[in-house]
Amino acid sequence: MSELLRGIIGMSDWRVWAMFGVGLALIWLAVKKEYEPNLLLPMGFGCLLANIPFSSAVGGGFLDVLFKGGITNELFPILIFIGVGAMIDFGPLLQDPEMLFFGAAAQFGIFFTMMLALLVGRIPGIMGIPGLREAAAIGIIGAADGPTSIYVATRFAPALLAPITVAAYSYMSLVPIIQPPVIRALTTREERMIRMENPEREVSKTVKVIFPIAVTLIAGIIAPMSVALIGSLMFGNLLRESGVTERLSKAAQNELTSLVTILLGITIGSSMGGRQFLNPTTLLIIAMGLIAFVFDTAGGVLFAKLINLFRKRKINPMIGACGISAFPMSARVIQKMAQQEDGSNFIIMHAVGANVAGQIASIIAGGLILALVR
Amino acid sequence: MDPVVAEGLRISGLSYVLIFVVLGIFYGLIKLLLRIFPRRDDSA
Repeated sequence: MSELLRGIIGMSDWRVWAMFGVGLALIWLAVKKEYEPNLLLPMGFGCLLANIPFSSAVGGGFLDVLFKGGITNELFPILIFIGVGAMIDFGPLLQDPEMLFFGAAAQFGIFFTMMLALLVGRIPGIMGIPGLREAAAIGIIGAADGPTSIYVATRFAPALLAPITVAAYSYMSLVPIIQPPVIRALTTREERMIRMENPEREVSKTVKVIFPIAVTLIAGIIAPMSVALIGSLMFGNLLRESGVTERLSKAAQNELTSLVTILLGITIGSSMGGRQFLNPTTLLIIAMGLIAFVFDTAGGVLFAKLINLFRKRKINPMIGACGISAFPMSARVIQKMAQQEDGSNFIIMHAVGANVAGQIASIIAGGLILALVR
Repeated sequence: MDPVVAEGLRISGLSYVLIFVVLGIFYGLIKLLLRIFPRRDDSA
């Protein structure tokens, strides 16, 4: 009898109710608002499973097995990257390689937020003093790239993994709300109306095949810590571009990504135990994640404005904002903004190029942080 | 300055610069590939 009652007695803990609220809120965001539903829905349900008092899903249950087998050893984010690589067409970037630099510029939020976390952590009583590793794990939310955030957080701050993941995926889905006001604040209407010629250049299949191999080798030699991330992304892309592994490419894009996303989401959700999740640090991490996205956007836009000072043919500075890795959401947002100012202005090819560059840059950023932070 | 903050500042600055350097190398790589293989070549 006591076995049956202990679950009901366990419900007297307010944290259980609070975490049920968090889990249901994630499910609501996924179902009603369609914010990253493929991840937030499994996360929300995983959160419910983990917070039912004396749940058999955790504490040695199947979610613990998944956590050890897919998160602790970083397997799930790596497998996701194979799928992401198979989905990405680097064509727009290869046609217009200058877009790479916007990907680099828009990583600014990572480092701004990392410094902010370090400084905030030093205010007595506000937050447990984070070391460099924790601050870097918080800053990497600014990579706007879920798997990279999970990968770095797992290594540097496993205790903060859940709030970092929630922040990363939530803000990625909120890019259409976060980016436009930042861009409008930093640009004039005339700047937002700048037209850009679409690159006419055709890219040969040979270039598309060599690119992922060469990037893996170069990035790997410069930052060996990035090999797992960049290597899996580029492996997926090679499956796509080789033209001889169509079945594998489709499997990576569909079956592999879907299966791992289910497991990743529900497992991350299971790490949202009330005791670990409900504390002021979680709220601070979620607030700093927003700051990271804002400063990513600002970094990209301001970089575009800076190089426009030296160029004859101006770049629409909104393209800089696409350098964040939230692909392809950011490119869509910028094209929509361009058309709001001028219905016949099409900058989508440049926007996608910068967005894809952001994907590469965020992984490089993750690899560099893993290599440099001790 | 707090030594951890100073170290964070050094790593942040260095990382941000290195991202530009690495992507600059990729830029050169793409330019080189486009020069070597300038046209659509579906036979590859």
